[in-house]
Amino acid sequence: MTVATATPAAPTGTPAPVRETRSDRIVMICNYTALGLFTLAVLYPLVYVASASLSDPKNVVSGEVWLWPVGWSVEAFTAIFDYDSIVSGFSNSIVYAAGGALLATALTLLAAYPLSRRGLPGKGLIMALFVFTMMFSGGLIPTYLVVDRLGLLNTRWAIILPAALAVWNMIITRTFFQTTIPEELAEAAKVDGCSDVGFFWRIVLPLSKPIIAVNLLFYAVAQWNSWFNALIYLTSEHLFPLQLVLRQILIQNNFDPSQVRDTAELIRMKELQEQLKFSLIVIATIPPLLIYPFVQKHFVKGAMVGSLKG
Amino acid sequence: MRDDLRTTTVKRRSVVAGALGIAATGGSGLLSGCGSGTAETGADPESLAQPPAELAPVTTGVNYPPGYVGPKARRRTAIVSEPVTFTVVVPQSLTVGDWSKNEFTRWMEQQTGIRIRWRQVAGKGDDAETMTKVNAMIAAGDVPDAFLGITFTRSQLYLYGTQNLFLDLTPYLDRYAPNLREAMKDYPEAGKLMVSPDKGTYSFPDINDCYHCRASNGRALLNAEWVREVGLAMPTTTDEFREVLTAFEKADVAGGGKTIPFGGYKDAPLDTYFMNAFLYNPGEPWLVVDDGKVRANYVRDEWREGLKYLHGLYADGLLAKDIFTANEDQIKRYGDNPGGPILGGARVYYWGTLMTLDLVDPKARWHQYETMEPLKGPAGVQVAPWDYLNVGLEVSTLVVTRKCARPDLLVRWADYQLDLEVVLRSYAGPGFRWSAKGDKGINGRQSIYGYDSWNTDETKGKTWDQYGVMYRSGDFRLAERVNPRQPTFESPLYEQTRDHLFPYRQPMEQQFPPVTLEADQAALDAEIGLNLKTEVTTSLAKFVTGRLDPSDDAQWNDYLDRIQRIGLQPYLEIQQAAYETYQG
Repeated sequence: MTVATATPAAPTGTPAPVRETRSDRIVMICNYTALGLFTLAVLYPLVYVASASLSDPKNVVSGEVWLWPVGWSVEAFTAIFDYDSIVSGFSNSIVYAAGGALLATALTLLAAYPLSRRGLPGKGLIMALFVFTMMFSGGLIPTYLVVDRLGLLNTRWAIILPAALAVWNMIITRTFFQTTIPEELAEAAKVDGCSDVGFFWRIVLPLSKPIIAVNLLFYAVAQWNSWFNALIYLTSEHLFPLQLVLRQILIQNNFDPSQVRDTAELIRMKELQEQLKFSLIVIATIPPLLIYPFVQKHFVKGAMVGSLKG
Repeated sequence: MRDDLRTTTVKRRSVVAGALGIAATGGSGLLSGCGSGTAETGADPESLAQPPAELAPVTTGVNYPPGYVGPKARRRTAIVSEPVTFTVVVPQSLTVGDWSKNEFTRWMEQQTGIRIRWRQVAGKGDDAETMTKVNAMIAAGDVPDAFLGITFTRSQLYLYGTQNLFLDLTPYLDRYAPNLREAMKDYPEAGKLMVSPDKGTYSFPDINDCYHCRASNGRALLNAEWVREVGLAMPTTTDEFREVLTAFEKADVAGGGKTIPFGGYKDAPLDTYFMNAFLYNPGEPWLVVDDGKVRANYVRDEWREGLKYLHGLYADGLLAKDIFTANEDQIKRYGDNPGGPILGGARVYYWGTLMTLDLVDPKARWHQYETMEPLKGPAGVQVAPWDYLNVGLEVSTLVVTRKCARPDLLVRWADYQLDLEVVLRSYAGPGFRWSAKGDKGINGRQSIYGYDSWNTDETKGKTWDQYGVMYRSGDFRLAERVNPRQPTFESPLYEQTRDHLFPYRQPMEQQFPPVTLEADQAALDAEIGLNLKTEVTTSLAKFVTGRLDPSDDAQWNDYLDRIQRIGLQPYLEIQQAAYETYQG
């Protein structure tokens, strides 16, 4: 990287570039090497998984695949569609991620906005209650009881509702409102005869696109990756999200090797795992990868504004 | 084998301990809070008033080998005329698919009249996550009529049994399970293995008598072709074995200095093969019964002698450098080495761990490797550890709870599944065929049944995998037809186990049985047992690889000290008491 600064040096009058100092260059080289290595460390597993998913499973097991696919085969991807649970898992995951993200974002905005306004009575107490739940929770069984008594067990709501508001996101959103929507703006709107709801709808929301995008992404990714709530609350296979099915394939092979009761089964499971593992990981990674570029430009802005100026 | 078996047990136990902790702090209140709900249900008095079920007559048309012991095809009738529905919790399985849409489910419903409302839990049924979910259900009082294929440990069954959550099935088994009673005659130990210390039977068991599994721990393979090549015979003593490995190394049979005289991987402990030349050693938790006294192997002088022997082999470069650290993929890479075998032998459970199996080519590489007989040590000890008790009967296959109003029907439903044809449908799917007279089975005798594919895409969604209640005796398993055009490894596995290992088995009285512990003991057992396991396995690796010297008295005494400090004494006391309870 050469930085040219205009300095009158040669009598010809053409500005000659200032040479970087030695130390600058060393720093630069170190920087690029470190970043390069870091990029490789992040990129390599991605490339490996993609290559492995497109290779013949035999070559994966024998360790021949290390960067590019060996023995090209898309069988792993076609095999996925033979499993009803994988297909239904994929669509369920989309429903949970989309539904969860929309509902959670709506709730987060509705909770964060009033708490960002100065005039709200009992604001401190409400905030304290929210924060309290970040530190303490009832634990697995009481929560299970609540979900059970609300009649949510084994319904899609059991996945969406209990995860519908993350206090952390709410705090970031509140800070965003506090810093970007000045109190004076609200006063001006009020003078012009705008109601609180109208102000929120017509002025606050259009000004808050970055934070909305950030919330949607956070919630969608969290839902997409989560499996524990599904494990605990769901008991019908047609409701299981993709992550549970993926997990099933990965653990199904964990046989006790000495109990090769049914050696044929062991071999079969091993093959299945080798075949499906990588293609499933690819499939499970694609949706977040697709969404990310669209929200990315808001992402840095929204998250930073919310967190830094708090 | 015990190695992995025990790790999962420990995990499971700690989950129980966790659940117990919850129960102690508040869950117990919840349990009794919901208890009023459960008390109202309970078994209908009608359940025990039904006429007892009799053994049905055997149907004709099935070719049993002479002297066959095992499930038979009998005349079957519907259990109820009006459909009755039960709620049953089952694990998730890719093979079974959606339990409610499964073909065997439909068949059972149609044949027996009993409908099941399935509640499917993610997990395999024996992993920590399944138990988390199941414990949450139990603690919240959200209890089904029964659990199928959820592996509760003996101690858990006992605990929940005494809390009156799981039903004692004894009276029901007596009246409504003729097939099971018949099977228990074939397996005399079954009665003892099924009951809890309070004499209650808290589950309907499953019998899966896998012959070669009984000997897995004592199995090691040696390349017989190489042995011939270096002009020696298959070794039978520790000295001969060393001689064979030295010859492999010297002759560099693989060529190019690639020869690995003897390999292994971390999931197949070395001690379960080699220590048996010095003392009977079943492997983790290394407990044996000596004249009614429970003893730990790893503090005995014979163990030290065994360590010295292995230490010597390793020092001479006769054991693979990575024998304690290689994983399954690595050992397979050696086994599959392109251009010819490089392994002289290995401590593995069967050929499939060592290499990719080519089942069609009769000259495939795996045929070179033969099961070694146990080695005879300097003192004349030569044992193939035989698992009489952990393989065969499995408890916790079907667990009926207090919630169930008609346990008699569920017991009859389970007993129905012990019939030969139902076993085959449950396990292999509707595509099985009865064998013709003269078809040979795995053991070379008359076969009973056969199928083209087992557990493949063909049978997906048609079987209950291995989650159903089944009776698979040794004779039954070995009566599977072998396709002469594509023989599997099952026959050689059976034959080599029968000829090379079975004759050297230890007497049954020496085996430490699967015991049931009280809740507080179970927690202690899990904790000390885990620490002991870590100490014994790491020290074994250090003694063998030379980081510790087994001939050095000071280092050996240090090791014994560490074991004592971990709590060997209280640990043995727990086991001794549990053993005595087991013996009754």
